[in-house]
Amino acid sequence: MINLKNVRTGLVLAAILTTFGCAATIPPNELVTARSNYTRASTGPAAQLAPSDLSTAKKTLDQAEAAFKEDGDTPEMRDMAYAAARNAEIAESRARTMQATQLKDQTNASQRANEVNQAQTTSAELVKTKGELATQAQALATEKERREEAERRAAQAAADLAKFASVKQDPVRGMVITLSGGVLFETAKWQLLPTAQTKLNDVADALTKQDKDSTMVVEGHTDSQGKDAMNQELSQKRAEAVRAYLVSRGIAADRITATGFGPGRPIADNASPEGRANNRRVEIVVKPKP
Amino acid sequence: MKRTLFSMLGVTLLTSGCSASFPPPTQKLADAESAQRSARELGADKKTAAQLNLKLADEEVEAAKAQMKAGDNKRAEYILLRAKADAELALSLAREHDAKTEAAKAVESSTSKQNAKTNGAGQ
Repeated sequence: MINLKNVRTGLVLAAILTTFGCAATIPPNELVTARSNYTRASTGPAAQLAPSDLSTAKKTLDQAEAAFKEDGDTPEMRDMAYAAARNAEIAESRARTMQATQLKDQTNASQRANEVNQAQTTSAELVKTKGELATQAQALATEKERREEAERRAAQAAADLAKFASVKQDPVRGMVITLSGGVLFETAKWQLLPTAQTKLNDVADALTKQDKDSTMVVEGHTDSQGKDAMNQELSQKRAEAVRAYLVSRGIAADRITATGFGPGRPIADNASPEGRANNRRVEIVVKPKP
Repeated sequence: MKRTLFSMLGVTLLTSGCSASFPPPTQKLADAESAQRSARELGADKKTAAQLNLKLADEEVEAAKAQMKAGDNKRAEYILLRAKADAELALSLAREHDAKTEAAKAVESSTSKQNAKTNGAGQ
């Protein structure tokens, strides 16, 4: 026969044990939060960036877990769990701090690199520009020197020519050397007189002193007497004769041309003997390099 | 009567013995207060993210002191565990705030310089 009193006592004891047993297995909020915080921290950037802080959090959490296992839900265990939760947050905060510091350092380094690069580019551009300016300055100096030399030679040639021929500076045509037709040729002929050759020798010497880049045109002119066609041919042949002689005296053939204008460009009145004498002429036009 | 007196003496000795066996957590109190001071030096009391934890640390330190005064050193020691953790978290959050502010400034400065360079190149 079972004693009902003993059964009842056993049931009450079982109920009490069950109640206390369940209470001991339900973790308090502090421990739940600590576990959650630690799991989150250990799977985030803190694992790489703040391992020491994470280790501290783990150690505290382990102590809380051990206390919970050993003594159940006690105030001291809750304090340990609370501290473990905060330590996990500290690890996360340290990791975020390091990330922010890294971002700042990288940004500053990148900015410095950009500035150095910019400075180097500017410096290189400056050197290049200086080089270009120096080249331009050298070219200008050379050109200036060439022009001054050309002007000096032209002045010297003009001075030499002025001793035995009429020399004028025409702003459009250039330097015009006028030789009287009577001095160079017999009437209606285009062969140079011996005296003309002497004079042309001096002209050729003066012209060789001219700027090597200048060009020359020998122009033949007649008075208005006689037929125009004959005068045209005469002026052309006289111009060519003078050109040929000058070439034979050292003037480069590609620098000098000959053209006959006949009576078309008189410089004096053909009605008078003096005027006609002035119109019978050969002009050597020296054009400087443009 | 004699038996009662012996019992009271025994309880008194036992109680005194427990209190005496747990010394005052002066070092832990000093550690927690040191963390509080560091947090304040970094302006944790003026930074929103860190204010709450510093306040909690303050309250916990005061609670621990009260427990020490009441003779419960053991309880005080565990409360100081919370206080130190809160104070250190406040300190860390204050540092984080400063680092983020510095990073934002650096990015803004870099972007501003980049924009100025881009605009300048177009003129």
